[in-house]
Order: sequence, then C-alpha cells, then structure tokens
Amino acid sequence: MSLPINVITGFLGSGKTTLLKRLLADEELGDTALLINEFGEVGIDNLLVEEIAPGTVLLPSGCVCCSIRGDLRQALLGLHGKRSRGEIPAFRRVLLETTGLADPAPILATLQRDVQLRGRFHLGLLVTVVDAQHAALQERLHPEWLAQVTAADRLLVSKTDLAAVDEIARLKQQLQGLNPAASLALCGEVSSGDALLLGDGLKGADPDAEVARWQLFGPLPAARHGRAEVCCLEFDDALDWMAFGVWLSMLLRCHGERILRVKGILDVIESPQPIVIHGVQHCLHAPVHLNAWPGGRRCSRLVFIVRDMDTRTLRRSFDAFLSRLGSAA
Amino acid sequence: MCGLCGLLGEDLHWSDPLGDTLPRRRERLRRIAAINQVLAPFRLKVSDVQGSAYLVQGATGRQELASGLEQLWQQAEAILGRPLDPLDPRILDHLEALP
Repeated sequence: MSLPINVITGFLGSGKTTLLKRLLADEELGDTALLINEFGEVGIDNLLVEEIAPGTVLLPSGCVCCSIRGDLRQALLGLHGKRSRGEIPAFRRVLLETTGLADPAPILATLQRDVQLRGRFHLGLLVTVVDAQHAALQERLHPEWLAQVTAADRLLVSKTDLAAVDEIARLKQQLQGLNPAASLALCGEVSSGDALLLGDGLKGADPDAEVARWQLFGPLPAARHGRAEVCCLEFDDALDWMAFGVWLSMLLRCHGERILRVKGILDVIESPQPIVIHGVQHCLHAPVHLNAWPGGRRCSRLVFIVRDMDTRTLRRSFDAFLSRLGSAA
Repeated sequence: MCGLCGLLGEDLHWSDPLGDTLPRRRERLRRIAAINQVLAPFRLKVSDVQGSAYLVQGATGRQELASGLEQLWQQAEAILGRPLDPLDPRILDHLEALP
C-alpha cells in the first residue's frame, strides 16, 4: 500500500517549526512518521523520547521522528524498511518538513521517477506556511515564495499576532487571489488531528470533496498578481484524452518553470466520469476519476497559475491542439 | 504487458490511455499520428518501433530512439537543436490550417 507524504513548506523563519512543535506534543500524530531536517530545531529534548535507531526516535504519542540528514530518498527508504521489519510502529502517513528555500516541485519529481519510491509513497497534501509579518518583503525578494504559495493545497498564515489586522486581511485576499484552489487558515486555528492538514487529498477516500474544495467553477479573482496570472481554459465538447496528453506533456516540458500550478476537471470521450488532473511545474500527478460532476455541470475546465507567459497564446494553443488533433488522427 | 496486443510496457506516464476499452496499440498509433501533425512544420517524423519505443527522424537523416513521451520530446529537440514549443506560431498556424 502506498503511503501519503504530506509536505510542510514555507519560507525560512515562517513558523514551520513552531507549528510542528505544537503538533508533536499532541496524541493525534500517533500514526505519523515525521521527517525533519534537525532534531535540535524542533526541540523534542524535553519530551520523553526513546531512540530506536540512529537518527530515529519514538515520541510518547507513538509518532516516529526521523532526521533527513541529506538525502530524502534514503531517509524515506530507510523509514519504510524499518516499518516493514517491524522495528518501528506501522505509521500510516509521513509528514515532511522542507528547508525554507525548497521549491516543492522536485519532491514530486523524486516521488514519481524513483522506481523504489514509486508504489511505496505518494505526495498527499502540500501545506505552505506563510509569514504574515514578512510576506510582502519575501514576495518581492524571492521567487521561491510565489512557487511555494501557488503550489500549496493548504495555506496557513503564521505570526498573525505580530501583524496588523488590516495587513492580515490584505494578505489573505492576496493569497486567495494567487491560489484560489487552496484552503486558507490561520496557523493558530489548526490542531494536530486536523483533516485539512493530515488528509490525503485526491488520493484519499473522498476525492470528490477535495475537488469541491478547489472551487474550479467558482468566479475567478482578479487575474493578475504581480508577475503571476491566473488563466482559465474551458472546452465545451468532450476532449480527446490522447490529444490532451500530447498538448500538456509538450507544454509542461517547454514551459514547466512558468507554470506554477495547474488544476482541472476534464470531460473526456473515453470516460463517462469526470477526470481530474493537477500538477506543479514540470510534474503532473496521475489522473483521478471522480464519481460525479461537481455542481452537476459537465464541461472541461483547467485553471493555470502562470508567470511571465502570454495567456492568449496559451488559449489559442489549447484550442488548436484539442480541436484539430483528436479528429485529425 | 497488454494481452491483446502483446505490447511490453513502457515506463508509466500520466498521459497513458485511461481505460482498457481500446487496444493499446491502436491508441499508440493514434498518438503517433497526432505527434506527426505537430512536428510536420519542422520536417520531423515519428514512427513506432515494436509497440515499445519511438523512432524520431529528422530531415537530414539523423534518427534517435525514444522510450516514452518525455524522451520523445527530448530526442525531437535534440535533432532539431532547439526547444519544441506548443505556443510556437508555426505549429499553431499549421494545426489551424488542418481540415
């Protein structure tokens, strides 16, 4: 059985560790393995911990905590091996804390391309912690900030006690504009057992509920935010999946770095059920079949978040490939 | 392996056929025909090799084998000497002129 990896990302000093510290003290993380960069940062010394292997400790709640020490692939395989041999409790999910400057797309690429990891783990939810106090500065100075915010499935705003109320309101509005499909909450509001944090996203028991959360058919906010732009493509007739695959694989290969996020629901000729796709930069998740059309409306709709890209040509390209290739072949 | 066509599997890709209703070989040939339409303005041609690889041929006679869609684009770009862009007006003009 493939285990979900939920990734917690966010800028340096954004409050990831503070969030983890709070969550770790709780019983709810008992069936979770936590992968962090350094034990020292999370400060688990004050908890009654038992070292079960070098670099791996067992917390009183049953949560396994493991330091990555360099290579994510090795850390994950090591953890899975210990789980299979019964050396550590059989955790049901992994929470991975990334370093502050990490771009989330390579994690997805590693999980998809590595033959040993594929089938054992899959990417669950991507949670991005956004520092309310320094968001404006980080957005201006670091392109990674935009990549982390747009890639997120969940956005958590931290340090709200240090920012003015109107500043927080403005930031929340900006985040929803940049990534309308992500659920937004304040860090202080989430608890460790929160399904929004520990859920399995599209691969979970209820993919329909997850897609409903994306609000694909909702009104789009103002299209442009700095260098990023939200672009929505629609196609009324049923799509040819083959033609769509040719178009999107070519687009992601050539413009992957500019496509920060893509999410969509497709009406394809080959399937009576809706097909859902989503991806980050060059990487796309395996398509998922839904049970029913959200809101009962049957049409294909794709939402792209792009940076420095001509969206009119994107629309023209989508129409040309989809309307000519399926019938031409 | 596909029991109907005897195709050995390529590496998994998200764009693989969704259902098992159509024989995989037929879907594969449909995909190759579509890719050839896209590559026509650059005089590149793709053909099937035993249902398990693609042969990409350039106008100068240079040819490369590719396994899977990702590698196909990579080899086509290598023969062409520059990126293949689905937003390129030459591709779009060519596709829009198709009947």
